[in-house]
Amino acid sequence: MTTYNHMVFIVDDDVRIREALGELLESHGMRAIAFGSAGDYVLADKPDVPACLILDVELPDINGLDLQKQIAEGDHPPIVFITGHGDIPSSVRAIKHGAVDFLTKPFCDADLMAAIETAIAQDRERRSERAELTMLRQRYLGLTPRERDVLPLVVSGLLNKQAAAELGISEVTLQIHRRNVMQKMMAASLADLVRMAERLEIPITHSRRTGGN
Amino acid sequence: MTTAFKSIGGIDSEALRAARIVEGVVGNAWATDAAGKFTYVTPSALSLLGTTLEELNSSSEEGAVGWKRLIHPDDYDGAVTMWRHCLKTGDHYNMEHRVLRASGAYGWSRSSGQPLRDGTGRIFAWYGTLIDGDVPSSAKEQFADVISDALENRAASDAPHLLSLVHPDDRTAAAHAAARAFWTGVPQVTRHRQLQLDGSYRWNETRSEPGYSVSVDIDDLVTDREPLASAGLDPSVENEAEPIRSAKVVESIFGNGWAFDAAGRWIYLHPFAQNSLGVTLEELNASLDEGHTAWRRLLHPDDYEQIAATWRHCLETGDHFNVEFRFRRASGIYVWARAAARPAHDSRGRIVGWYGIALDNDVYKKTVAALRGRERELSQLVDMVPVQIRRLTPEGEPIFFNKRLLDFFGLNDVAQLDRPGMSRMAAAIQSLVHPEDAARLLERLHHSLATGEPHSMKYRMRRADGAYRWVDGRWEPLRDHSGAIVQWYAISIDIDDEMRAQEALRDRERELSQLVDMVPSFLWRLSSTGDPVFFSKRMVEFLGLDIGEYERPGVSALAAAIAAVVHPDDAAKLEAALDRSLASGESFSLNYRLRRADGVYRWMSSRAEPMRNEEGSVVQWYGLSHDIDDQVRAEEALRSSKRQLEQMIDAVPLNILSFAPSGKITYTSKRYLEKVGSPPTHIEDFDALARDLAHPEDFPTMFRRASNGFATGQPFVNRFRRREKDGVYRWIEARAQPLRDADGAIVQWYMASIDIEDEMRAQEALRERERELQQLVDALPVHVWSWTPDGKLAYVNKRSLEDLGISGASFEDFTRVAQELVHPEDAPKVLSTSANCLKTGDSFIMRYRRRWKDGNYRWIEGRCEPLRDRDGTIVHWYQVSIDIDDEMRAQVALRERERSLWQLVETLPVMIECAAPNGEPIYRSRQLREFLGYELESLGGKGRSRLAGTLDDGVHPDDLAGVRASYAHSLATGEPYARRHRLRRFDGEYCWVDTRAAPMRNAEGAIVQWNVVCLDIDGEVRAHEELRLAQERLARASQAASLAELSASIAHEVNQPLAAVVANSYACQRWLTAKPPNIERAQKTVERIIRDANSAADVVSRIRALFKRSADAMAYTTLGSVIAEARDLIAEEAVRRRVRMDIDVESDLPIVALDRVQIQQVLVNLIRNGMDAMDSVAGDRVLGLRARRIGDAIQIEISDRGPGIEFPDRIFEPFFTTKEHGMGMGLAICRSIVESHGGRLWVEKNEPHGTTLVFTMPVEMKAAA
Repeated sequence: MTTYNHMVFIVDDDVRIREALGELLESHGMRAIAFGSAGDYVLADKPDVPACLILDVELPDINGLDLQKQIAEGDHPPIVFITGHGDIPSSVRAIKHGAVDFLTKPFCDADLMAAIETAIAQDRERRSERAELTMLRQRYLGLTPRERDVLPLVVSGLLNKQAAAELGISEVTLQIHRRNVMQKMMAASLADLVRMAERLEIPITHSRRTGGN
Repeated sequence: MTTAFKSIGGIDSEALRAARIVEGVVGNAWATDAAGKFTYVTPSALSLLGTTLEELNSSSEEGAVGWKRLIHPDDYDGAVTMWRHCLKTGDHYNMEHRVLRASGAYGWSRSSGQPLRDGTGRIFAWYGTLIDGDVPSSAKEQFADVISDALENRAASDAPHLLSLVHPDDRTAAAHAAARAFWTGVPQVTRHRQLQLDGSYRWNETRSEPGYSVSVDIDDLVTDREPLASAGLDPSVENEAEPIRSAKVVESIFGNGWAFDAAGRWIYLHPFAQNSLGVTLEELNASLDEGHTAWRRLLHPDDYEQIAATWRHCLETGDHFNVEFRFRRASGIYVWARAAARPAHDSRGRIVGWYGIALDNDVYKKTVAALRGRERELSQLVDMVPVQIRRLTPEGEPIFFNKRLLDFFGLNDVAQLDRPGMSRMAAAIQSLVHPEDAARLLERLHHSLATGEPHSMKYRMRRADGAYRWVDGRWEPLRDHSGAIVQWYAISIDIDDEMRAQEALRDRERELSQLVDMVPSFLWRLSSTGDPVFFSKRMVEFLGLDIGEYERPGVSALAAAIAAVVHPDDAAKLEAALDRSLASGESFSLNYRLRRADGVYRWMSSRAEPMRNEEGSVVQWYGLSHDIDDQVRAEEALRSSKRQLEQMIDAVPLNILSFAPSGKITYTSKRYLEKVGSPPTHIEDFDALARDLAHPEDFPTMFRRASNGFATGQPFVNRFRRREKDGVYRWIEARAQPLRDADGAIVQWYMASIDIEDEMRAQEALRERERELQQLVDALPVHVWSWTPDGKLAYVNKRSLEDLGISGASFEDFTRVAQELVHPEDAPKVLSTSANCLKTGDSFIMRYRRRWKDGNYRWIEGRCEPLRDRDGTIVHWYQVSIDIDDEMRAQVALRERERSLWQLVETLPVMIECAAPNGEPIYRSRQLREFLGYELESLGGKGRSRLAGTLDDGVHPDDLAGVRASYAHSLATGEPYARRHRLRRFDGEYCWVDTRAAPMRNAEGAIVQWNVVCLDIDGEVRAHEELRLAQERLARASQAASLAELSASIAHEVNQPLAAVVANSYACQRWLTAKPPNIERAQKTVERIIRDANSAADVVSRIRALFKRSADAMAYTTLGSVIAEARDLIAEEAVRRRVRMDIDVESDLPIVALDRVQIQQVLVNLIRNGMDAMDSVAGDRVLGLRARRIGDAIQIEISDRGPGIEFPDRIFEPFFTTKEHGMGMGLAICRSIVESHGGRLWVEKNEPHGTTLVFTMPVEMKAAA
């Protein structure tokens, strides 16, 4: 964690907490930006790196939990809640909605750092997955309409013959399309292609057994 | 130069001399070689022109000749073209052009040249002359000298015709031809042999003209022919007398000769001359016999006398004769010639005769004359043009002022301006230019001199008389062909008058403009198309608009202006008139109304005239509008009054009489005579006439008045019956008026009479009717009064007077009396109502009391109505008052009873409703109405009964079913009804009511009405409810105060800084353990730790302060009431926990100052602690509370029967608790509260078991404050 390939956002109305957390994170060699309110955080320009949001539950403009709910729709970093007096329902609710941790002030250095590291790792994972998916979508868009017809049939496990019959084309033609699909999707194997189709949520519409629906 | 000439090979000395003579004759001569290269130019010409031979012979690359600079640019092309042409063809060159002199001025010169040919006719050179217009006199001198020389050196036979080159055999013929040409002016062609360079002779044909001759080599054509032998006049001079011989010798040179004897008698004249002139020597000499000289017949008469005088002088003295004169050719034309003669001497030196020659110098003479004329003209021009001209050197020094300028300055010469130590320019400007303009002029001049730019400026120059005059000065440079400035020419034109005129014009214009603005009329101007282009200032002020401010798109400016400012009724007329004028060019005149800025229209008399240019077309229209509004209005008024008068006179049938002051009748109008008839002759005065015509009954009155009138001079009026023509008496009204003179004496009486018979009869009839009406009115048993529109009593009938016991009062008083008669209680209303009626014109109806003559008041109904005339204006008010006293009294009694009953119902503090037997409400008391917020009448309709409406809308939905059922039951059975339910109040709030209803039955026992009473019991029910809620709230509050929430909030407050402290501590630790340690950051972190820890400490202080109440929140209260409240709060809990509360509060405890809520908290806490202590007790759970006075304090003891306290010393320490869920703050806070009240809290053991907590409250609180 010595390179700045991450960012920690701190949202707390108490300037002392903001300062202390900033100091603590810096002493751990982490980058942090602090905001005094949820509104400031939402409006701020945020760098596009794996990140973590340390969010106070009691905020002047909005309850932290409500903020969590609001930004749940969008693309936001994992949240670590901190609170002056935690109660069980709040913590349950926060964790249920995907918070990484729910820490009660004052909190232990190790707990906080562990939570932050977990959150950033999660975000990094999520980002890479999303990048991969974007790439896959790009490749999929590169397919011709015919190849897009062929893909679900192939990943459904139909034999070339069956698939050709399904589309009313010759087996040779189908093989050409299939090869093109593999190449364009950069699939190493059929299994790889199936996994990609799964990621792309291409439905498996056929079964080899019945040879059609 | 001689050398130059000689270098042209083969020219003998005679030819050279000939050329020299030419030079001498004309002053400036030149010679070139065949190619046009100058070989010789007279030195005087070189210096005159400021040039050299080298320059003349230089030629530029462009092929321009070297003398280009010297020829005026305008003349150059012509000159050079001609010159080149001549060089090529050998034609004679002859041009007039302007030549630039060394002085820098151009002058007109005539330049001519002719070729020199060798024996073969080839041109080997050119020579020519340059006759300068400016130096004619010197040329003349030289010319004369040449001739003298020719005559002196007879042998030096050089002539233009080069007779010396001619073969001696042909020479005479050639000379003859030349002479013939001279004398006749007709060109002569001769053939002769001419000496060639090789010494041989070749035949030439020569054409001679008076000035020159041209020879052509024709030798090849004629060699085989013998030359034409000349017949006579062989130069055998021996036989002749000396003068003739000499003449012939000269003649052989010049082609012309003559000779006189010593007495001046012609002895020889060239035969051609005799032929061509048509004279013989004898004829010429004949004039000698007449006393004249021999010249008489040859010369122009104008020249003769002078020539003759000279000739006589020469004859007498032997001086040389050398003159110019005009002689008459055979053609009758006079030509100029120069003649010279010298005496011929014999061997002894005696004069034996005269010989001479004549040379044609007509062309020369005329040229000189023309030049001189032109020079004079120019000089005159320069002096006479009304322009002041000066010439300046390139450095700006004035060198020439023309005469005008000199005259202007009063100078004789430019040099007069010179001042020592000053340039002439500076001196001139200083002395001649206005000091204000001098610097500027000098600056401009310097600028021009420096840059060479022409310039102009206006400045003032000082005239000889010292007056400064404005001039327009301009100067520009004269440049040579290289562009260098040779000279500056400057002119100035006197523009003083112009400037002054301009100034005057400007003044005049300003004056005019003021005039235009000051004339009390409006001036305007239209363009030729009718667009307004100018309004005078007054007009703009009047209209509040200026040109263009009324413009509207799509409308012509004129139409827009008319629409904006002209009265709509006049606009069309005006537009038509303007259009007509614009079209025809005729003047315009119209009266119309113009709109003033304030919107008022005023009559204007407007006129417009076109202004035409020289062609007669209209350029503009000038208009003037004059405000005639007052005139127009006055005129109108006058006209209407005149019309009225006329109408009146036409319409009114007046009979007019007039009397002298004595009473004598002086005039009877025609109408009078028609009506009454002429009075009998014996009746001459008024008295008699009156006696005769007036009805005997009326006469005395009438006569008395008339006499009185006459006596006093006052106008008077008489009404009487007058007998008319037909003998019938008719009523008339006669009015008499005196006419007085300037002194006031009566001159005449005028009497006009009108027939008023009909009027009188109508009056009579009216009077009759009135009497009847009067009787009627008086007979009626009512009071009839009438009032004037302004509220004055005008009539009161008799019965009123009788009934009210008043009489004889004037109506003025009566108005007051009438007001007094109104009962004091009614008076204000009556007055205000009647005043209002008078104002509005509404009818007045009112019942009030009026005092009768017996002093009692009786009720009357007064009705008053206005009588209006046709316009609706009120003429009179009529009032009828009817006695309604008995009726009123009965009514009043009745109403009084009803009212008291009604008031009873209305004011009862219950809500009352009456309902029909079927339950429909028919009456509701005020209380009920106010409660419900609506009137009974608003119910019903919408197909719903009032009852249903009341129930549905009013009763709380939860109670509705029950109410409806039981009310229906009562209605059906006639049983009384009673029920509690919620009823909707006007503000939407439901209130608890207790409703009861009972039937009212008639004599037969049938129900005629239900009477319902409704009691508002809401307060009661609510109080009950609120007590319960307060208990709950207090319980909750006490629970809150029982510390769980308090601790949570404390925790939060403390946690924030603590969390920061912890996080900073971790950070500090990391900085310190880092390799290398970051001391700086660690330091900063520690500072924050200190700050945040202090902040946590502050929080704790604040919490402590929270419980340290000041006396401000305290109020004097009986402790008993506080204890009762605490008991009420906890009572329910006590029951739930099966604890009996045994409370003993001493009566008449003194009141103490305390914070009610805090003490309540203390009590509740202590009670609850006691209860908690007894939770585990199986037996009797009794909580004792005792309050009593001990000394100057009240002591409160709360005792329980619990297991007692293990650590009585520690229980008051904060955070000490024996409870599972306690915070350990309760007793600590309680003690702090009690102590803040100045009391003490301690614990005692209870016997046999349990604990008693005791606290005191001092009665005297001053110490605790």
